[in-house]
Amino acid sequence: MARKFLLFIILILILTLLAFGCKQKRQEQAGDEGSKDKGKIAVVISTLNNPWFVVLGNTAKERAEQLGYEATIFDSQNDTAKESDHFDNIIAGGYTAILFNPTDADGSIANVRKAKEADIPTFCIDREINSNEVATTQILSDNYTGCVELGQYFVKRMNGKGKYVELLGILGDNNTWNRSKGFHSVVDNYPELKMVSQQTAEFDRTKAMEVLESTLQAYPEIDAVFCGNDAMAMGAYQALVAAGKADKVMVFGFDGAKDVIDSIHDGKIVATGMQFPKKMARMAAEQADEYIKGRKDFPQKVPVAVELVTQENIAKYTAYGRQSEQ
Amino acid sequence: MKKVCKYAAAAAIIAFLVYHSIYFENLEDIKEQRRRGTFNAAEYARDFWDNQLFSVLDKAVNVKELIELFNTNMNEAIRRYGKAPGVSRTYAYLIQGNGKILTIAEDFLEVSIREPQTNPDIKISSGFYIPGNAVRDASGLIDVSEFSDTMKFNEISGEINKIVVKEVIRPFLEKKPKVGKTIRFFGASQVAQDATEENLFGQLISGATEAKEFQLFRVVPIRLELE
Repeated sequence: MARKFLLFIILILILTLLAFGCKQKRQEQAGDEGSKDKGKIAVVISTLNNPWFVVLGNTAKERAEQLGYEATIFDSQNDTAKESDHFDNIIAGGYTAILFNPTDADGSIANVRKAKEADIPTFCIDREINSNEVATTQILSDNYTGCVELGQYFVKRMNGKGKYVELLGILGDNNTWNRSKGFHSVVDNYPELKMVSQQTAEFDRTKAMEVLESTLQAYPEIDAVFCGNDAMAMGAYQALVAAGKADKVMVFGFDGAKDVIDSIHDGKIVATGMQFPKKMARMAAEQADEYIKGRKDFPQKVPVAVELVTQENIAKYTAYGRQSEQ
Repeated sequence: MKKVCKYAAAAAIIAFLVYHSIYFENLEDIKEQRRRGTFNAAEYARDFWDNQLFSVLDKAVNVKELIELFNTNMNEAIRRYGKAPGVSRTYAYLIQGNGKILTIAEDFLEVSIREPQTNPDIKISSGFYIPGNAVRDASGLIDVSEFSDTMKFNEISGEINKIVVKEVIRPFLEKKPKVGKTIRFFGASQVAQDATEENLFGQLISGATEAKEFQLFRVVPIRLELE
């Protein structure tokens, strides 16, 4: 009788342990499903026709997914109308937050306002909108200060004299003017540095090549080209190679894109300003997650410092960031 | 039937004209543009300089103490005194001190602040223009989030730097400072987090091409007086 009772107790213990085991497994599964059920995050990027923005978009998407969200990238193709359509679809699609790289500092305000009115928080990345009332926060490259530093290095490499060409980015983008004004705040103090031409190539590599080719017809004797981004720097360098002037004319870019980092390493491009697209994209995704979890007190604008990358310090850097951060 | 066609055509024309003669714009966007249009960076900088900056100068750290801290514990220096408007590896510091002029160059003064005052420790800007955001950021008084676009925030720095040249550097140079004289100063400085990784401040730079080249702490003056 006692033996039967003991077997009965052991059986109960085994069944109890099995039941707890199953419960724990169910809870773990529920936890996993819960993380996948956190909601959807939209990543709206100004253009995917530039590798720098592809890195920005992909990093934001990956980080959002790591945090348990379903994330989708929307390409605005540098068109505010397309961007507006994306916002309409995002609002209708029940997204929880938007990680947003705007197309136009003024033109994109209305889209962010639309999202705000639909109670969807927007986290701007890299590019700014000219409002501090509609986005939840804006994580921005400190382009002006980065170009002040680049301008100082430009003056040093040019020994304070010579002729140069400036290639501007998209004229409606604040980054274009922040970079240009930062650069000129230094360079214009040197009267022997003459800017012979200032034209837009819209941040585009092919356009930059075409613009510089025609500029070289009018001004064959230039000493340097300052480009508002790295894609244009690569286009400018191609034009100089085609004209047989690549060894004589110094090219300066801005971004920290892979081909320019490689070119600085190879001595083809002189310097660039390293922005940190991966860092900014991760910050935006993490802040969206914090917002969804309840945090509401975000600084409206967060400048992220740009660092000067030259042939002297290239060892510290890799494409889109610092070696130590990869 | 003809009548219907006429009315339809007339309605289409009227609709076309009305659509193209009325343009709707968001009132908030218009207000925002007006606010931006009225911003004057020079006036903002003037008010900052006259009414705000001098109230925080009593918080300026002694430059000798700060340099010692940079050379021994950069992270502690950043924690105690560093300011940055966002995410950065470069921090701005509000400083004060006195020292002996060792060199007067075209756009800087080399000054020794540590005994026996034979080697330079700091380089005070004294040129015709000042780049950067040292004064704006070291003051900690101007918040980038106040501005609808960051260009305004940057323009303020440019205007502050113009005041420094016009109202600090030029009057000081008019007093004809000489090597060996002692100066008293308040100033601002921007220092990268890794500035002392290879060479400490006030020490000879290893492998420098020019003889006796020191790693110097660069200062934008806010007040500069001969003692």
